[in-house]
Amino acid sequence: MFSFASFPTVPHAQKHKVAFASGAMAFLLGCTLFAGSAWAEIPYFADKVKSGVLPAMEQRLPEHPLKLDFAAEGKEIGKYGGDMVTIMGRSKDIRMAVVYGYTHLIGYDQNLELKPDILESLDVNEDGSVFTLRLRKGHKWSDGAPFTAEDFRFYWEDVVNNEELFPVGPPRFLLVDGEPPKFEVLDKYTVRYSWSQPNPFFLPELAATRPPFIYRPAHYLKQFHEKYQDPQKLAAMVKERGLRNWAVLETDMDRPYKLENIDLPTLQPWVIRTQEPSDRFIFERNPYFHRVDPDGNQLPYIDRMIFNISNAKLVPAKVGAGEVDIQSRILTLKDYTFLKQAEKDKSFHVRLWDVGYGNYATLYPNLTVSDPVWRRLLRDLRFRKALSLAINRTELNRVLFFGLATPRNNTILPKSPLFKKEYATENIGFDLNKANALLDDMGLTKRNDDGIRLMPDGRPLEIIVETAGENPEYDDILALIGDSWQKAGIKLYVKALQREVMRTRAYSGDTVMSLFTGIDNGLAVPSSVPSEFVPVNQDSLQWPKWGQYYQTGGEAGEKPDMPAAEELMKLYDQWRIGGPGQQKKAWEHILDINAENLFSIGLVGNVPHPVVVADGLMNVPEKGIHSWEPGGFFGIYHPDTFWWDR
Amino acid sequence: MLTYVARRLLVMIPTLFMISVLVFIVIQLPPGDFLTTYMNELKAQGEAVDPSKIAFLRAQYGLDDPLYIQYFHWAWGLLHGNLGFSFEYNLPVTEVVGDRLWLSMVLNFSTILFIYVVSFPIGIYSATRQYSWGDYGITLLGFLGLAMPNFLFALILLYYANVVFGTSIGGLMDPQFINAGWSWPKVISIIEHLWAPVLVIGTSGTAAMIRRLRANLLDELGRQYVVTARAKGLSPMKVLFKYPLRMSLNPFISDIGNILPQVVSGSVLVSVVMSLPTTGPMLLSALQSQDMYLAGSFLMFLALLTVVGMFVSDLLLAWLDPRIRLQGSISQ
Repeated sequence: MFSFASFPTVPHAQKHKVAFASGAMAFLLGCTLFAGSAWAEIPYFADKVKSGVLPAMEQRLPEHPLKLDFAAEGKEIGKYGGDMVTIMGRSKDIRMAVVYGYTHLIGYDQNLELKPDILESLDVNEDGSVFTLRLRKGHKWSDGAPFTAEDFRFYWEDVVNNEELFPVGPPRFLLVDGEPPKFEVLDKYTVRYSWSQPNPFFLPELAATRPPFIYRPAHYLKQFHEKYQDPQKLAAMVKERGLRNWAVLETDMDRPYKLENIDLPTLQPWVIRTQEPSDRFIFERNPYFHRVDPDGNQLPYIDRMIFNISNAKLVPAKVGAGEVDIQSRILTLKDYTFLKQAEKDKSFHVRLWDVGYGNYATLYPNLTVSDPVWRRLLRDLRFRKALSLAINRTELNRVLFFGLATPRNNTILPKSPLFKKEYATENIGFDLNKANALLDDMGLTKRNDDGIRLMPDGRPLEIIVETAGENPEYDDILALIGDSWQKAGIKLYVKALQREVMRTRAYSGDTVMSLFTGIDNGLAVPSSVPSEFVPVNQDSLQWPKWGQYYQTGGEAGEKPDMPAAEELMKLYDQWRIGGPGQQKKAWEHILDINAENLFSIGLVGNVPHPVVVADGLMNVPEKGIHSWEPGGFFGIYHPDTFWWDR
Repeated sequence: MLTYVARRLLVMIPTLFMISVLVFIVIQLPPGDFLTTYMNELKAQGEAVDPSKIAFLRAQYGLDDPLYIQYFHWAWGLLHGNLGFSFEYNLPVTEVVGDRLWLSMVLNFSTILFIYVVSFPIGIYSATRQYSWGDYGITLLGFLGLAMPNFLFALILLYYANVVFGTSIGGLMDPQFINAGWSWPKVISIIEHLWAPVLVIGTSGTAAMIRRLRANLLDELGRQYVVTARAKGLSPMKVLFKYPLRMSLNPFISDIGNILPQVVSGSVLVSVVMSLPTTGPMLLSALQSQDMYLAGSFLMFLALLTVVGMFVSDLLLAWLDPRIRLQGSISQ
């Protein structure tokens, strides 16, 4: 057995509870007595507490709140109050509130280690097949109702396993070889999920930036559920909203990720208070949030988080005009010089953060392309190497990224514990002679009048690179690559498509090569799922058909038929079944094979991301990692600890 | 006259039916549906989508049904005043449109007013002083508005409004007033933000209006009855306003047919660039995300307004200019 130890907790909360747990008068007394100490009331709630609408802070917190380790995070104790304004491009993006809030059963800390967050602790057995989750006693939903094992039971029995709500059954991470877990409620605060085999997907999924919410506010949602609500009442509600049946109603009311139902209780630091549609969304502090600072003050410090919605094209200008408190979304490195200039007479500063994805732009030769001649060429390692060596990445970096990026392969980042230097640097030097020699060696020696090599069947070697057509920089990148490829006897054409069309073409094997962003999770740890390096996903543009084969259980696509790919699949199984002990080994092997085989041709990575922070907004790190997974952009830095010093 | 009105009204029914079919086809033309677009967007940000959930949603929203069933479902709803359900907002379309509708009206009525106020005097002036320096100079101004790319003009105005007056960039009010109740500062804030889009959209409309008024007026000014009136000693102003100007009002009135839909859809491009909370950008994003009932209902609404607007302008024209009415009855 090993267990995820919880953060230091606050035992004296209980003592206070015993001492003052006799009626409302004692409540008020408690507040006044402790005003000024670490238990001082949050000014935002002072009136409500005084009038008895809201219990005092100590009553709102769980018995053992999560005490954040400010020393380890390099933070200081803050003050309460203020708004934090940021801009989103569309009203759909209100889901970023959950991303920034970063409240998980178990989540990553800044060293990318998994730590309990909502959970008080979590026990995993030796081989990773039995998970015992312990909740915090006295933890409450944002409406004050207790958060208990019942909420987990409700999700498991009445939501995921309800045929009308989830016709195809529980999500994949809850199944091992198609087998659902045994779910048990051990007591009011403990639940257990157990499988007969290890389930390595369980924890990474719980900690994912978009967590799966395997708990739901049962006390609230039961009113929309067939099993608990009077059929006539339910039918009336369905009719009132003009929906098809109760299942749609339940689904609509229950969106814990895109917090759009202002009545849905949540465990997030801020709770939505604005009904859609709007151009300005206000999130108000959750009075029952479970984290405290080292002095025992309830977080968040900031009263309201505000999302203004604006056209994405106007965002840099608005940021430059000083209209936000914190902003990273929508901004790109292109805006850096403008923002830096605006910084002079506005009260904010631009910081450059690292990014979490492996590569800004990567070429994906489609190993499962339908054309047999192309397929043979692309599967030849010499060909992929030649393509990579004929790219001048230093030039790309200087021309397009002010030299601030790093030429590198499409692989994990140095900050990952699995990183080896050669993963990033092999085959990226600019060497036209070697590239030409490799191509000659393959027998591609005949050329046409323009100096373009001929393929074995006599067609000129013209590669059409397809892009999603969203990022104008991609065209510039390809123009530069086209120049140097020309010198290796290869002609490059760019075809900008719509994203959907591009994907469908790749899935069906029409695409020869595509340019897209590199891997998402450059900060992989041994417990992360290595799906981006193994053909298990049809979205991986280097082998869409193999991925399809795996995803559909062999119904569509093609079985991996390259030795390296077969090896990767074996290693994936090893990672899956091997338990925590084997995972690191499997990962290293997978990365080795990927580096040797150059399945995707990375161009530049580490393109820094501008982060604008208003002067006086404290506890925002100077240097951070701006990444969706893991970390949820600001989430991993705990925006609930940000505060205003002004 | 009555049969004329009745006929005009009856023709509207098949017209609207044809439009509804067309609208539905156009919306369904791009590959995929709302859910595929939604999935792709999530994937673009690295978020995983649960395929089973998508299958569920597709079935629940009836996206699995054949097209004609989806059409009848939608059309049936429209006939009953039910504009359908917006997938993107998870709300009935009527609720989604709400506030935006009347902000669009404020913007567009102001714009129309601006166009009339500017182009009327200029048109009269340049017609009465044809080929003078004043005529050239002042119509040149109008053409500048027409020639300048709207989005560019909008961006420049936004920038200077921010630098000079400290107006927040984009939108129709300062952010703190959004969703807030009505107050005097809110009205001020709206006025502060309103002039820029009105100017941008308005200037592009004035040139056309000036030219039309000028041309029509010039036609009339040379007519016999004007010469006669002058010869009888009426003052030039009185002559101008009493007869030729009235006759040249024709284009203003036939424009009413277009004004109604314009008031709702607004100038989409400018609204998008300036991030105005009007219905235009909403229509655009609904089309992009294939939120078909929202987009479809919008388009149908615009079509209805166009048809009604045309009807109103026809009635007005018939009232203003008897020749039109007479021709209508002669052909019967």
